[in-house]
Order: sequence, then C-alpha cells, then structure tokens
Amino acid sequence: MEKRTGSPYPKIDRPVLALVGVVLVISTAFFAWSDRQHDYRYYQYQFRQMVAEKFGADLAATTSSGIQQVWVPGLRRADRCTTCHVATNWKGFETAEEPWRTHPVEPLKAHPVETFGCSACHGGQGWAIDTAEAHGEVAHWEEPLLGEGLGESYSLVDNKKALMQMNCNICHRYERETAGADMINHAKKLVQDKGCRACHVVNGRGGTIGPDLTWIGDKAPEQYEYGRLSGQKTAFAWHVAHFKDPRALVQDTVMPNFHFSTKDAQALSMLVLSWKRAEFDVALYPGVARTDPQTAEERKAEEDMRTGPGGWFVQTGCFVCHSISVFGVKSPAQIGPDLSIAVEDVQARFGRTIDDFIREPTGTMSVVLSRQIILTPEQKQVAIEKLRQAFAEYQRLKAEGNAPSLSR
Amino acid sequence: MATIKGLLKRSPDTPEAPGVHPQALWSFRPRSDREAGDAIVSNLLLHWFPSKVYKPSLDWSYSFWLGTASAALFLLLVVSGLPLLMLYVPSVERAYQSVKDIEYVVTFGWWIRAVHRISAHLMVVAVALHLVRVFLTGAYKNGVGQGQCREWNWVIGVVMLLLTLFLSFTGYLLPWDQLAFWAVTVGTNIASSIPWIGPTVRELLIGGRTIEQATLIRFYVLHCIMLPGALGVLFAYHMWRVRKDGGLAKADHEAVLANQQPVPPVASKTYTLLGVARGTAPTVKVTSVEAPDLTVSAVPDLTRRAAIVVLATFALVSILASAIPSPLEEPANALVTPNPAKAPWYFLWLQEIVTDTTIRIGSFTINGAFLGGVILPGLLITLLTVWPWLDRSSALSTGRWFPKDRRTQNAMFLALVLLVLVFTVIGMFLRGPYWNFYWPWEAWPEIPARI
Amino acid sequence: MAETPKDSAPKDRREFLWKLGTGAGVVAIAAQTVASLRSLVPNVSYDAPTTVKVGLPDEFPDGLKFLPDERLFVFREGKTFHAISAVCTHLGCTVRAEALSQPEDTTIEGQRLRLTHRFSCPCHGSRYRGDGAAVSGPAPKALAWYHLSVSPDDGQLTVDLAREVGQDFRLTLA
Repeated sequence: MEKRTGSPYPKIDRPVLALVGVVLVISTAFFAWSDRQHDYRYYQYQFRQMVAEKFGADLAATTSSGIQQVWVPGLRRADRCTTCHVATNWKGFETAEEPWRTHPVEPLKAHPVETFGCSACHGGQGWAIDTAEAHGEVAHWEEPLLGEGLGESYSLVDNKKALMQMNCNICHRYERETAGADMINHAKKLVQDKGCRACHVVNGRGGTIGPDLTWIGDKAPEQYEYGRLSGQKTAFAWHVAHFKDPRALVQDTVMPNFHFSTKDAQALSMLVLSWKRAEFDVALYPGVARTDPQTAEERKAEEDMRTGPGGWFVQTGCFVCHSISVFGVKSPAQIGPDLSIAVEDVQARFGRTIDDFIREPTGTMSVVLSRQIILTPEQKQVAIEKLRQAFAEYQRLKAEGNAPSLSR
Repeated sequence: MATIKGLLKRSPDTPEAPGVHPQALWSFRPRSDREAGDAIVSNLLLHWFPSKVYKPSLDWSYSFWLGTASAALFLLLVVSGLPLLMLYVPSVERAYQSVKDIEYVVTFGWWIRAVHRISAHLMVVAVALHLVRVFLTGAYKNGVGQGQCREWNWVIGVVMLLLTLFLSFTGYLLPWDQLAFWAVTVGTNIASSIPWIGPTVRELLIGGRTIEQATLIRFYVLHCIMLPGALGVLFAYHMWRVRKDGGLAKADHEAVLANQQPVPPVASKTYTLLGVARGTAPTVKVTSVEAPDLTVSAVPDLTRRAAIVVLATFALVSILASAIPSPLEEPANALVTPNPAKAPWYFLWLQEIVTDTTIRIGSFTINGAFLGGVILPGLLITLLTVWPWLDRSSALSTGRWFPKDRRTQNAMFLALVLLVLVFTVIGMFLRGPYWNFYWPWEAWPEIPARI
Repeated sequence: MAETPKDSAPKDRREFLWKLGTGAGVVAIAAQTVASLRSLVPNVSYDAPTTVKVGLPDEFPDGLKFLPDERLFVFREGKTFHAISAVCTHLGCTVRAEALSQPEDTTIEGQRLRLTHRFSCPCHGSRYRGDGAAVSGPAPKALAWYHLSVSPDDGQLTVDLAREVGQDFRLTLA
C-alpha cells in the first residue's frame, strides 16, 4: 500500500484543534450555566421554606416554581412579577420582607392580579425576570417602577408611594374622585378651584390661551425645554418646577404663578403626566366613568357667566385674569385687578382715562392686548362701554351699601 | 450486522482497481494518498475540495482563512436563525414583545439571539477583511493557469459583501425598537434621495410611504429568505470558481516559483471531477504529478485546518455571545427620534459622510444623502468592481503580499480603508447628541426621562 | 514525513490531541444543538385561563346559551344549570346545536334531564344526543361535561374547563 504524503503542519494543528475544542466545550458549559443564574430560584426556594415553617410541608409543595406569568391580552401586558413576588396572593405574609410579602388585599378586590397583571398599576418592566430589568432600572426602559424609591428621589410630600396613583388615573381619569388616589384627587380639586380650563382645554373643554392638556402625558420628555431647570432632567421634575413658578422655566409664558405648595405642584404634575393614551380593554373597567361630564350646577354657573351682563368679558378671555364682580364674573386666576372699578382704577394707577388706556395700553396690558387678546377698534369701544356700565353698577351698589369686596 | 460491518470495514482482499472504492464510507484519516483521494470523491460535502492542494495555500499567514471564517459565520447565522424564526413574530404589535420574550423567558433565547447578532457583526468584519486580503495579495488576478477568470470571482465577492451588509441592515429592523425604526427611516431616505426614481424606490422598499407592517414583512422576507438564499447561491458559485481558477492565487505564485519556464497548458486531471473530463481542463499548469513535494492531500490536511477555523469561529462567537448582552432599545416610536440616532457601526462611516457632504453652490443644493449616501458609496463600489481590469500589474505578483509593482495601488487602497475606519471610529466614539463632536472624556448632556 | 515506529510516542500524543479536539468539537456542537432545541419548549403560557367567569346566572336564558369563546353550551332549567362542551370528541371541531321540535325527558345516571337540543359536527358528520352521547358518525365518545360553580366574590357563573364531571352533575342555585 502506498504511503500517504505527510502533513506540512503536524506539530501545530493537532494541539490547536484540541485547544479550540476544549475552549468550545467550556464556552458551551458557560452559557448553559449562566442561563440558570436567576435570583428567582433563590426567592422561590426561600419562600418554600417560609411556607413549610408556617403552614407545613403540604402547602409548601403548592408554592409556585419556575417562571410565572400573568398574561393580560386587553392591556397587552405579560407580567412575570409573581415569579419573584411569590407571596402576592398568599395570606399570612403581610409583614414579611419583599419579595415575600403578601399584597394588600383592598386594591386587589377590584383589580385581581389574574385580570390586571402588575405593571399596569406599578409600572416597571413586566417582561423581565431579574430585579434590575423588572424594576426598570436599566437603559432603554422608560417605565420605571413607581415605588417608594422613586418617590423618595423626588422628595414627595406625605406619601412616598404616591407616584403609583398616576397609573390609577390612566383608567380613572374621568372620575372626580378615586378611592385610594388622594394625591390625584387633591390635584383634580385644584384643577376645578384654580380654573385651569380658563386657558387650557382638558378633555375637550376649556380655553385656548394655553396648550391643550388632554394628552399632555404623552409628550416625549425630549420635547420639554430644560435649559433653566436645575436638578433632575425629567418631565416630572419639569412640571413640578413649572407649577411652582412657570416663568422661571419659560421666560415669556403668560401662565400666572399660582404660588402652589410643593405638595400641590407634585400632585398636579402627577395628574397631568397621567393624562396619556393607553391601550384598554373596556371589559376591564365596568363602572368607571368613560367621559368627563360637568355637573348641572357647574354647567349653570358657566352658562350664567357667559350669558350674563359680563358675558362679553368671558368670551374675549379678559376673565382669565380679571374678575368683574359686579357682573358675577369670577376670574379663576385673579391676577389682575377687578374690572368693576377699572374706570377709577386706571386713572389712579396710570393717570390716564380708560378710553385712552384701552386704545394705547402700557405695561402688561400692552403685551396681553397685542399677543393674547387682539381687539379691533370697534371691540375696544365695546370694552370701554362695558367697563363704564360696570363702574356705574358698582356705584349703584355702593350707594345701596352692597358693594362687593374687590381683589386688586 | 455482519453485512454492515463488512461494508464499513476495509477488506484487505479488495482489489484496488481504478474507479472502485473499496470502502462504503470514506475516512477523515486516510492512511494512503489513494484513500485521501477517495474521501474527496465519495463525499458530497468534501467534493468541492480538490484532492490535492498546495501546501503554501494552507498557510495561516497567507489567507488568514478569512473566507472559511465568513462561511462558518454564515452557517452559524443560518442555524441560529432557525429557532429565532420560530420564536419571533413578524408583526408590528408583537415583534418587540416576542424579542423581549426571547431575551427573558425563552431558555437559552438570549444566547441564541446573541449568537445571531455577534455572528452578523463578525461576518461583516470577516467578509470585509477577506476583501482587503484579496486586494492586497492581488488574488483577483489571473496567474499562469489557462481559463482563469478570477476577476469575476472578485465581482461575486463584492456582491456578497453588499449582500452581507444588506442582510445585517434588514435584520436590524426586525426587533421593531427605536434603533430599528430610525435606522430604516434614515436608510430608506438615503434611497429616496436619488433624483427621479428615489421616492419610488423607497416606497417599494417599505411598501408604502410610512414605515409600518408592510415594511416589517418586506424586510422579514428579505432577511429570512431572499438575501440568505441569494448569498447561499453566490457562495456556491464563489467556491466553484475558486476550484475552476486553480485554487488560491498563492498556488499560481508557487507554481511560477517552482517552474520558472513558461509552458503551454497541458491536459490535466488534477482539478477535474473524477478525472472524467478530457482535453485541456481549466487548470493551472503545475500539478501533483509534476511537483509532489509541493502538495498535500486535502483530506485530512485541508479539512483539519478548515475544522479548526470553523470550530474556532464557533468558540469565539459562543464566548462573545455569553459575554456581550444584545441591546434592545425602547419600542419603535414614530413620534420621538432618539438622540443621537446612530446607525449600526458598519454604516457609521456613511452616516458621517452624509453629514458632511451637503453642498451649496449659490442657491443650488446637493443633498448629502445623495452625494454621500448614493454617489460616493456607488463610486467606491464601482471602482472596487472594475478594479481587476484596471490593475495592470504583472501576473507574477498574483498571490503575494505587498509585491513591488502593486505598491502604489495597495497604498491607495489602504488609505481608503483607513479613511473609512477613521470615519467609523469618529461616528462610533466621538459623536453625541445632535451629532455633535465629543471627545471620549467629555460627558454627554443628560438625556431626559419621563419620570 | 512518513510515520515510522520510532515516533510512536509523538504519535500517541498526536492521536490523543486529535481525538480530544474532534471529540470536544462534536460534544460542544451537539450540546449547542440541544440548547437551541430547548428554546422551543415554552416556559410561559399565553393560553387562556381554564377557569372562566361567564356572567351572572340571570343573564342565561332557560334552555341553551352558546359561549363561543369557551366553546361551551350552558343549559338552564329554572334554577338548575349544567354545561356541555361544544368540542367534537372526534377531531375537535365546534359542534352546532339544533333545537328539537319536541323536548324529551330522560333519566341519565339517576338524574332527570330534559333534552331540548341535539348536536352535529360540521367536519365529519358526528351526531350527538342532547346529553352529549355520541349517536352516529366517527365520534368515539360523548361530549364532555364541565364543572360549574358560582363565584363567591361577585356571584358570576364560573366554568372550570380543566375539570370534567359526570352527567349527573347539576348546579342548583339557592
């Protein structure tokens, strides 16, 4: 038999082949091993011990093992939180440490985990099965866990866990009051009291001086102007700072400073950020309001203001800053003086007649009348007449001793 | 049982007649040259190798086996693509979710996805380096053999590089995250900057005027069927041409060294299948008949090295896949462009060029997308394609690193490669939000979050 | 380069390295193939739950109500309920109910049952009696009966599609 021609590289190739083979085996073993490295295995094991200790081995055998999932097709969420948070539906671990703590029972009565999942309320990344990813503390995940830690980073007043109420209000946005969402309820009351709708459209109703806020929660964080904001660059931080002092963030804004407290500003920021679109299954929330109707009294009060003797001031938008008390027009912001005595007041402040001032305004009013409320000469004439009527009415009431107290 | 054993076992009595193969199976470890030849002849996968190869063709330091590595990566991509094909859902609503599932809850899903992704990146590298190697060694040049047309194999190679890039690009879209969405927005807008036909081309690519379900399914079919299919066919053709052209260009060089006398081509069976072909085969002059000391059997010396390269490629990919997590950005959002929106690294030199090439002459403006995104790369590709016909260097410099008479063109080529690399590095490491220039030690401005 | 007996020690070493290299390569590739196949075994379920609330008892008319999502017939007779699967036992098509012109009373497993309908399968023509018994066609056995209960929290009728019951099962409301 003829011999085979020898290899030119006998010394190198075989050791190299052996080395490569061994490296390949090691790398295979490594990825197989690292696929098993998940904390939930430890949490589930630990929970099994806890149940065994408390309720005996029989019940311990029924604790979940492996990846758990709540699939909510209506919300397009697949939440694996219960993989680690094993005690969610168990009784008797109310005081245990997380993730072995029982979920408070009250909110689950109306929102069972099986139907709503977890992340719809709590935020975070339901897909994930490891802590950092699931709690949204990773790059490329925009929905953080709305928990105590995050609340602490914003120094929330009162309740550090309140941020979660934002998610309550995504579904409950049309309710005047929602049980358990006290910060949101507080903010909704502020929206009514301060008359935000004088300038802003919310849910289809309101003025057009400011931007429509109906879906403001969808505004991308990149779209805010952070140039004058110190500290955290987030949409939430922006809103808090803006509510406290609008002009500090947006120099030429006409939004008045309402001197909101920190709590007010935080509550309002939560409210406006909750005004966002979300996918819903209507079947999930029977009994929750789906429109935002006014009560009969509210509608009547608004109608009266608009059609009463001071209706003209409401329609042109003067009432945003000025009350005209003698006509029953109440300004939501009340940052300008009451117009009931404008005739006298203008003379006192500027040393000019009302006719002169309306035609050639100075100061703030020159800005307002050239940008926000633009009046034709005819309309200005109407304004002057209306203001005279108001003053006449004021003097009549004063003579009767019924003069209303005026804000100046 | 006895029959099977009898079939498998070599019987010493079997006559070794020509054309009769005493074994039903071949051996990877032949004991004689004849057995080595049998392995080639009787095995479907091995028959694309010649039975004898030039020893120097196997050198690590000549070819670096980059073509083999590319093929191994392509194989790995196909194989790792199969489970992904079953786990991924090509729908706008569910694509992102299915990738999240692959990452988080599918056993080994993250690893399979990482293998697929790392292989894709490495394949771009390997194919590009292969092209650089072939250029620098003048391996697209015909040497001493008759009937060689290595130029055409070079052209096929260039097309395969483009296909590799396009495969990577179409793969990027599939997770339907921000990276995907905006890479496709930019990529297809480059296409639409071509005068007259551009918008139509874009509309055809994305199946409408907005990037939507129609785009996803088009890119999906391109990525999973059409492009890999085309690449597979071209790969087979590429290999066939290598055989037809007499193996690696290095062989021509060695042949010339071994046999300085110009000789007319002779009839040879060495490179023809089974020795059936008659007459003047398209082959190089020198064969094992004439220079047995220069050749070795393909089995096992070539196959062993090929096995080493393939296994080493697998090992490298496997290690990198375990070590480097595959990113997945936010779900695609047509309302927010990420800042900065960066293309995958192998397109960053183009992104850098399209940034710098918008030209204004008076009131006349040429969009950088057209100049930098279409004309310039088009020019480069055309130049690459036709270069073998422009290269006038001697046939003697075929298959050699840095021959003297190719010094200028090699230097020019390297300069171009370097330029592309510099642009890539700038794009990768020195560009920040709003595509502003940042040194690596400079911090980028904080990217705002919602809460 | 021919091998001669005097290099037998290097030959053994070469032999070992060759076997180690190829063996390890084959083992690793086999393991990676198995890993890839393991990825196809689902770890999480996107299936619909098997225990489903199907509505308040009052929403069910006397006689039959078909629930397409659960593929289930719910029968009501006054305060008594039972549920029969609409999944054909032959090959899983959804059977259709036809009202009988004349309801008939029978006794099944010691319980009185009023048969108001019969069922037929559109795929291969299996026919079932009103209690689910297969009467003709390829169906190998009777339609399944499922467990019904009243949910303690909101009083909805709840069906457990994982719990088959005998044909004497009735849910009677207080």
